Amino acid sequence: MSMMERIKVRALVSVFWRSKQTMLSAVNGFQATEADGVWHLLRGIEGAEDPKVRATLFEHMIEEEAHAEAFGLVCREESAQAFVPTFYEREDIFPTGTPIWKLIAYVHVGEVDATARFGVLRDALPPGRLKEALKTIVADEEGHIDLTHDLLLELGASEAEIRKTYRRVRLRRAWEGWLRSGKRIVNWVAVTLLSGVYFVMAPFFYRTARAKLRQNTVEYDNNRLKGAQ
Amino acid sequence: MNVLGISYGYHDASATLVVDGQIVAAMAEERLTRQKHDAHFPTYAIRHCLSVGGIGTEDLDKVVFHEDPHTKFTRVITSSLAPFPHSRREFVNSAKSWLGEKLWALNTLSARLDLDPAKITYVGHHFSHAAQAFMGSGFERSAILIVDAVGDWSSTALYTGEWVDGRPQIERVTEIAFPHSLGLVYSAITAYLGFRPNDSEATTMALAAFGTPRFADVFREIIEAKPDGTYTVDQRYFNFANFYKGAYTEALVEKLGPARESGAPLGLDCLDPDAAISEEDQRFADIAASIQCVLEERILGLCGTLHTAAQTENLCIAGGVAFNCVANQRILDESAFSSLYIPPDPGDGGTSVGTALFAAAQAGDLTPSGLCHGAYLGKSYEEAPTLEMIEHVNPTHFRRYMKVGVDAAQNNNWKVERFEPEDGLSGLCAAVADRLMQGELVGWFQGNFEMGPRALGNRSLLARPDDFDAARRLSTLVKNRAPYRPYAFSVTDGDAQALLDIPADQVRFHRWMQLAVPVRPEAAKMVQAALHVDQTTRPQVCFAEDNPRYHALLSAFGERFGKAVLLNTSFNPSGYPLVATPEEALVMFARTDLDVLVLGDAMITKVRPD
Repeated sequence: MSMMERIKVRALVSVFWRSKQTMLSAVNGFQATEADGVWHLLRGIEGAEDPKVRATLFEHMIEEEAHAEAFGLVCREESAQAFVPTFYEREDIFPTGTPIWKLIAYVHVGEVDATARFGVLRDALPPGRLKEALKTIVADEEGHIDLTHDLLLELGASEAEIRKTYRRVRLRRAWEGWLRSGKRIVNWVAVTLLSGVYFVMAPFFYRTARAKLRQNTVEYDNNRLKGAQ
Repeated sequence: MNVLGISYGYHDASATLVVDGQIVAAMAEERLTRQKHDAHFPTYAIRHCLSVGGIGTEDLDKVVFHEDPHTKFTRVITSSLAPFPHSRREFVNSAKSWLGEKLWALNTLSARLDLDPAKITYVGHHFSHAAQAFMGSGFERSAILIVDAVGDWSSTALYTGEWVDGRPQIERVTEIAFPHSLGLVYSAITAYLGFRPNDSEATTMALAAFGTPRFADVFREIIEAKPDGTYTVDQRYFNFANFYKGAYTEALVEKLGPARESGAPLGLDCLDPDAAISEEDQRFADIAASIQCVLEERILGLCGTLHTAAQTENLCIAGGVAFNCVANQRILDESAFSSLYIPPDPGDGGTSVGTALFAAAQAGDLTPSGLCHGAYLGKSYEEAPTLEMIEHVNPTHFRRYMKVGVDAAQNNNWKVERFEPEDGLSGLCAAVADRLMQGELVGWFQGNFEMGPRALGNRSLLARPDDFDAARRLSTLVKNRAPYRPYAFSVTDGDAQALLDIPADQVRFHRWMQLAVPVRPEAAKMVQAALHVDQTTRPQVCFAEDNPRYHALLSAFGERFGKAVLLNTSFNPSGYPLVATPEEALVMFARTDLDVLVLGDAMITKVRPD
């Protein structure tokens, strides 16, 4: 992880995470990312033919599931509200039939990133539940880095092929990161614009809206197949 | 004709494929994504449905969406404008979500399925519930009651359904508009009680059995009955149009007292009904009992109106409130209806079934009885690859990842026994029944997973029904389940009436765990670990023609125990949907105190150290 990113993470913790809600929202996101990893590993197990590879992925998956639960537990214990987990839309990283080692390479690069990010976070956090959870998780993720690399070697890939694949995966993840950043910007613009729309439009329509909500029955025709027949 | 029904966008996305009038496959997306109530586009459910049908999207003749996105959009925007100037966040988030994606759901369907838009149709949300309720019922004519949180605009809808010249006709009697909603009030009280709304309403219902309805008059005032059997909800107590402020208002807190914090201890236990209950816990239980009581009263009022309009003894029920098994039983006991049908998944997850069947029936000459379907409509998996994998898995590896409280040292080694498929069933069932008799906890994984949230013998956790210790172990070391939530049991049709206080003509209503009924006093001890504190249970009556393997297991256990009955609960860790794949089942076996896992014809057991 670059120095800039380390500074960013420390600033995040010391400034933004003073708000418990912001912190819990981020932890909920970690939970969702780990759970997403579990799901991809499950898909990998379904796709892998060699029972030994399946077993390795299975063992790995159990650890990731425990990590997702550890983050979820932090959310549950720190919040007065009932915990509502964040969900991502599931999407296969590779099309069905792609050799399993490509998924393992993708997982490996993810583990490297997660280890670095969670490690910095662990060091920056004050003592507490999240710090304790991260200690275990970072130790596990470090093990996963070696595990996935060794698995790729076991599957017959050469060091050169592996390094090439890692580079491709890093490029892909960087692109995905840019897309996420782009979405965040679009989201910010949309929130600003729609807030403007609200304050311009709502004064003219809120009375009509209130009147509509006072109606007790529904009269419009919704009792047939609509659209193309 | 190939028809695909689809629901997604709010919660419980699902897909159903109907080919020539028969359901080929139907499932909720959550099972394939491991995200409970997953609302995302049901990519994987659709993919699997098409794969079972052996067709591609180009072979689809019609796709039916479960709601009218344009009407729903007007409701969402209207409700976010009404609280002006205090609803900016609500408006912005709603508008962003709807303008960004949900409003264009029909275009999304067309694009993601690469399908001619002319093949895409839709129905109103409550109409899709009505179709879901009526189409699988087998009734020639029926009243239809739909009660949930909110659909396009309505929250409650009353219909009549009838087959006329081989076509289903579903006509509206009346629809109650949002924000007057029984489902939303129940969800708001669920939030008030510290549980997760839109998920844990069953917990509120469970809590109700510990209380007395001393706050019922408060709720009768809040949900006012009208002379025509309908109701209105006093909005001063709720934020249905502005839920970022919280589901309920200070006015409700003034009426009922302080709300319960999520995660605060609640000292109620189904397995120990005589335990002392604190005053505060009793208040929460009484509030739950009160909302449950008034919900039932208002539903009975709706049933009266519906019976007068429909002039039939048959009733179909759907919508989220149809998961309330206590209210369902009260309808059967106290309304004028004598015959009841509730589909296996009466919530949004089941709307794809109804819409697909309705569209297929509109196009063909299907008979009502030909459309009856069971609950085992999900995906099935080969167990062999998992069993091969197990040979390479080291159970001691999981010791660090056991669920809290489980003795890791117990997870040393696993033993796999395979039973030959020819005569394997009797051998397997005998072996499993012996284990159950010894108080062991069994994960039972067979065939296609169930449609709907109930474990009906294909993804079930099983235990001896009279064994408190087994039930406690199941709650604390396997399911992480609150002690105030009761277990239920499965019983064969042959033994159902010996245990349950139900008439013979109602036994079939209990196939899918949708009604709470009293257990005969003389049989209570035999099923004491699967009873609620009021001595009721939500049974599954298993018929051999519905699920022969599970029926055989129940019978094998019955030979040893005296009655063919087993404590049965859903095979899922807390917070997850029912397991779908054998690997998911194995994870739960590995990390919890489950003693036995049955995958198809194989039995995996933990070899405990001496």
